[in-house]
Amino acid sequence: MVRFKERYLLVNILHPEGAASTATKADKPASGILIYNQPTTDHVTPQSLLRAIRAQVATLFGDYGSGAVDRNLQVKYLSLATSTFILRVSRTHYRLVWAALTSMNELPAKNGSSCTLRVVRVSGTIRKIEEDAVRRAKQMMLAAKEEMAGKKPANDALGALFGTNDRGSGEFDLMDVDSGASEGEEGGSGD
Amino acid sequence: MLYDLNIPWSPTTSPQDLDRTLSFAHHLGYSVVALNHTLPPPIPASIPNPLPLLPPSPGRPTVLRRATIPISDPSTNHRLPQVAAAYDLVALRPTTERAFLAACTSLSSDNFALISLDLTAFYPFHFPPRTCMAAVSRGLRFEICYGQFLGAKKDDSRARSNFLSNVAGLIRATKGRGLVVSSEAGSALGLRGPADVVNLLAVWGLGTERGKAAMTENARGVVVNEGIRRRGFRGVVDVLGGAEGEEEREKTEVEGAGKKEKGKGKQKGQGKDKGQQQGQKRRSEEGEVAGGVEAPVSKRQAKKMKLAAQKGKPTEA
Repeated sequence: MVRFKERYLLVNILHPEGAASTATKADKPASGILIYNQPTTDHVTPQSLLRAIRAQVATLFGDYGSGAVDRNLQVKYLSLATSTFILRVSRTHYRLVWAALTSMNELPAKNGSSCTLRVVRVSGTIRKIEEDAVRRAKQMMLAAKEEMAGKKPANDALGALFGTNDRGSGEFDLMDVDSGASEGEEGGSGD
Repeated sequence: MLYDLNIPWSPTTSPQDLDRTLSFAHHLGYSVVALNHTLPPPIPASIPNPLPLLPPSPGRPTVLRRATIPISDPSTNHRLPQVAAAYDLVALRPTTERAFLAACTSLSSDNFALISLDLTAFYPFHFPPRTCMAAVSRGLRFEICYGQFLGAKKDDSRARSNFLSNVAGLIRATKGRGLVVSSEAGSALGLRGPADVVNLLAVWGLGTERGKAAMTENARGVVVNEGIRRRGFRGVVDVLGGAEGEEEREKTEVEGAGKKEKGKGKQKGQGKDKGQQQGQKRRSEEGEVAGGVEAPVSKRQAKKMKLAAQKGKPTEA
């Protein structure tokens, strides 16, 4: 019996408008990192999230898309405090789901605030995704602290230890996508 | 280095919104961003540049200023050279087949760098590969703005399908080369992370490698070319240092002239590249002087200098 191959997507919910009351309460202008990665206050459940993603896939890719994706789409983890969630998708069609995520711009809740979803990691195992989520959270905390304290980019030892600053992570994401894609193609031919 | 060469700007854009968009772009990892001002067709004689000139700061990407000119009839005067002088980057937005053909093949590519179609519109013509590749080989780039797709309203599926068919046509015509991807995002909400954009392009039929190149190398090529065209000498030689002293100039001149003839073996090793560059530059400016320094010249060299002298004369007279 051949195992069912999957992809796990680590997704960040970003709030570019920064409209929530928690951010504007502070007297001084909060740092960008804190605003964009603020906790999600809307009442989002894994079920509602799943429903929204399915609806988006259906509008973008129609019956074919929802048929391809629906069967094993699952929200493995949802943390509103860190605005992060992990999705499980079938490997052949993870790009469809990813495109649907990219084209969503509000949260699936009542008067959901506007947000963008950013896929920060694609992996074949959930363990790697978990490790990456923890690493990213730590890195973000450090970056936010630094930005609040000294307003200087992370160039010191800790920054080096936990990866790089923003621009570096962007490049890393590009690299990451590529590795996942080539892996998928190899595996696909093997099946 | 990630580039986003299209962030729309209009005189009604508030500085706060702009600031938020720019800082979010920085957060997503973009390092160079171009503010885009659309100039409606009857272009006045004097072209002021209303775009804000933002100095570089750590919380913000480098900001360039770009103009987009919708063009429907290529025979009317769009004052492209003047617009190009006023802005850092100029794009054309053809709306008809004639304008598209002219932008690809005949309009002088000195004055604009991008062909930015409104991909949500329906075009009653194909994008012929020969025309498109002619444009690419002239150094022009086609722009794909993913904001036109993401920003389309929920019920406006016609716009989305037009967009997809146009993108497929462009990718087919150019084989994925010579594309530049930018956002055209009205607000911070329309911006997406680079990895997401590459994935979107992959879904639309452009390979990940090409997609990455469209965000980094191709866009960088456009920016650097335009920069050199404005700063450098005839868009070929970039002037990096300031003016040198008289003595040093003479030395490099002799070196440069000596380097031209191969096999004589008189040149000195140091400062080769520098000498050569400056020798070339001077040759086109004052060909006779450089020619008079050394008596024995190769035939090829003599021919070159003759040509250069002929070229130089009409402009002097």
